[in-house]
Amino acid sequence: MSLPDRSVLDNGAVLVSQALPSNPFVAFRGSVPAGMASEGDDFGVAEFTAHLLLSGTRRMGAQRLADRLESLGATLEFRSSEEVLLFKGRCTRDTAPETVRILMDCLSQPAFPVGEIERVRRELLNDLRIQEDDTRYRAAHGLARIVFPKDHPYGRDPRGDATRLKKIRRPDIAAFHHAHVGAEGLILAITGDVDRGLVEEAVARPLSRLTGKNEPSPRIPEPPAYRPRSEWIPMAHKAQVDIAVGGPGIPRKHKDYYALYLGNLLFGRIGLGGRIGSNLRDEQGLAYYAYSSLDTRTFGGMWSIGAGVNAANLSRALQGIRSEMERLRASPFGLDEIRDGKDNQVGSLVVSLEQNSEVAAELHRMEYYGLGMDFLERYADIVRDIPEDSVRAVAAKYFDPGNASVVIAGPIGKARPAL
Amino acid sequence: MATHVDALENGLKVILRPLPDTKALSTWVGYRVGSRNEVPGVTGSTHWVEHMLFKGGGRLAKGDIDHLISRLGGKYNAFTDTDFTTYFETIPASAMDTALMIEAERMRNAAFDPKEVEAERTVVISEREGAENQPEFAVEEELWGLAFHVHPYHWTPIGYKQDLQALSRDPLYAHYLHHYAPNNAYLILVGGFDPAVAMQHIREAFAPLKAEPAPEPMRLVEPEQHGERRSDLHRPGAADLFAVGWKTPAYAHEDVPALLLLSAVLGGWRGFTRMAAGEWRPRSNRMYRALVERKLATDVSVRQELKVDPALLMADVTLAERASLDRVEEVVDSEVARLRKAAPAKAEVERAKGQVRAWHQFEQDGVTYQGMLLTTSEGLSSWDAWERMIDRVDRVRPEAIRAAAETYLVDEHRTVVRFHAQEVEG
Repeated sequence: MSLPDRSVLDNGAVLVSQALPSNPFVAFRGSVPAGMASEGDDFGVAEFTAHLLLSGTRRMGAQRLADRLESLGATLEFRSSEEVLLFKGRCTRDTAPETVRILMDCLSQPAFPVGEIERVRRELLNDLRIQEDDTRYRAAHGLARIVFPKDHPYGRDPRGDATRLKKIRRPDIAAFHHAHVGAEGLILAITGDVDRGLVEEAVARPLSRLTGKNEPSPRIPEPPAYRPRSEWIPMAHKAQVDIAVGGPGIPRKHKDYYALYLGNLLFGRIGLGGRIGSNLRDEQGLAYYAYSSLDTRTFGGMWSIGAGVNAANLSRALQGIRSEMERLRASPFGLDEIRDGKDNQVGSLVVSLEQNSEVAAELHRMEYYGLGMDFLERYADIVRDIPEDSVRAVAAKYFDPGNASVVIAGPIGKARPAL
Repeated sequence: MATHVDALENGLKVILRPLPDTKALSTWVGYRVGSRNEVPGVTGSTHWVEHMLFKGGGRLAKGDIDHLISRLGGKYNAFTDTDFTTYFETIPASAMDTALMIEAERMRNAAFDPKEVEAERTVVISEREGAENQPEFAVEEELWGLAFHVHPYHWTPIGYKQDLQALSRDPLYAHYLHHYAPNNAYLILVGGFDPAVAMQHIREAFAPLKAEPAPEPMRLVEPEQHGERRSDLHRPGAADLFAVGWKTPAYAHEDVPALLLLSAVLGGWRGFTRMAAGEWRPRSNRMYRALVERKLATDVSVRQELKVDPALLMADVTLAERASLDRVEEVVDSEVARLRKAAPAKAEVERAKGQVRAWHQFEQDGVTYQGMLLTTSEGLSSWDAWERMIDRVDRVRPEAIRAAAETYLVDEHRTVVRFHAQEVEG
């Protein structure tokens, strides 16, 4: 693949593009710095705003907008994350100009009709209720709140909470949009059936007309002090228990990032879930899913292990997780294991970037974290240069059972098992 | 896109789609066996067999598949459907022989080590229990169970828990040997390769396998439904759910193009395989406007289930807080009645057709999705049936959609499941 094209427009927006001719359509992904970090104490207003961007503009009502977009056969989605408001979509080459015009209209001229605000409020409240009944969500979200306590943006649910959601009014939404959604800081990555001419005419031109100088996003505060603890969420009506184990991790640009990424791959991702999956699923037959994750953001991160097991097997599963964490010290990754992990990372460049949606997401990540447009060219060398000892050292340092928290949600009765 | 079709002497059908611009290769093998080929007492066995085919046998030791693919940076998985079972690997194209070797061994030589079968029992049950945690699964299982009394679509591919607890190794192994053979399978390659070279490698890997006696065709036919069937589930949950399924014909039937557009007019379009849809929720459709915009529901989907045998056109609704199931049912009924009475406007139909065409391109997103699309189409009929379906959809007139609604969306052929969410203590 040739290097992606990158241009900074006069209004501050950044456009990144790369042709992927084998896939016969166009995919894009982008962001503006209007995520949860920008919402202050108005928890939920960023997500509320994101949901309303398809609810009509000053030019088109909600129904006309949906009719127009879907007549093109295009898709467009908005959602809020911790740091940014994310958007993504798909269209054909022929419909790209109109799809991008609609995207710009949604971003710059949302109407926020009162009827739609009330509809979205109901939807968000329902989503909150459904999430509260979901063991996997409860365990994972409970862990995030422990790792990033005191309503830190990295630990909150984007929807906020029901009490705050009920209080958000149209002026709050309009003010948030006015302050944070504009051209400055906007990133748009586009790929698939595109070429320079299409990108300039159909994307750069309408994007350059976007105005709005966003208020600078507040720097995300350092996460408050973390103290490991355990939490149990009894949900007697469920068939299965979800376990989340984890602790603080690192920001994306931390010096340990590549070693820890590889360590996490070997610990709980490669194949059917690395060492964790091998123990819990393959050897003990306890879980259909058992894996580890590494979430890295601009100012912090967390690692976690997730597994779904029958309540009768909960203690064995926790024991298995603990033993794998201890094994990182007693029996660290061998040279063969690390070599396989590196081969996987290098080989995955071909395999993971075969889809438009994945390429658009990767282009966006490269720009957002300032990795450089030659990042994919350099990636194999970066991986090969990771010292084996540092992989072992960071895995033992971060996946530390002594510093890990545990959240268990499901039919646990009065049992309160710990790691 | 150019697609080459061939067959080996042992009956293995081979479908090759070379994409010169790509360095990746997706290898798919489909078997013409799904949960429709099971009988009561051994439900879930097709899916359990699928799990066992990652555990080695022949030239593959346990863990080898995982190891071989992971070192290449590849991805792999398998899916058990009601009508077919598929396995895939997506790897760098230069490693084609690795994928072919894995699939050739998997076809006849799986080990089914009794210890491994036993270890996998709890994994499969865990997969089912994970699904049971979601109220939507209870609704789905109830709906298909009620709608089909005779045909094996009565149960879902995961099977019943009591069967999973009781099944033993030998019937599973027999199920495998009975259905896994080159003459009951098809091989699909999509990606960066030369078809002539690929064919040579495929012969080397698969030609040594013998054809086996063909499995008996599944002959069970669901009798005609005479009267509506209903179920009210009262269980803990966060939101009331409403689901309805009308009996509709098999994939190959001439009315299916009109039914696909009918589902799009009612509930929007999210693709043929639905894997590419992600979180996308269409809004330019009748059910969304009648239910979500009116704040009776927070989510609605409508889909024509495409299956080898007659199946269902289904609508699923997640109710908004304090909305009534009766009211939602009335609205669904009135939208269906409206469509039975008057053909949809030409613009509405053109929008639906445009969506189907555009999504056909979205579903060509890379070698893996293209492989999935071809595999699914071949599993239901033939690899190019979906491409031809796109053309057939394009020729449907608005009146044919109304006629399909009048023929199929009738009360005496429908099954309704209402999930009354019970407040959870504590």
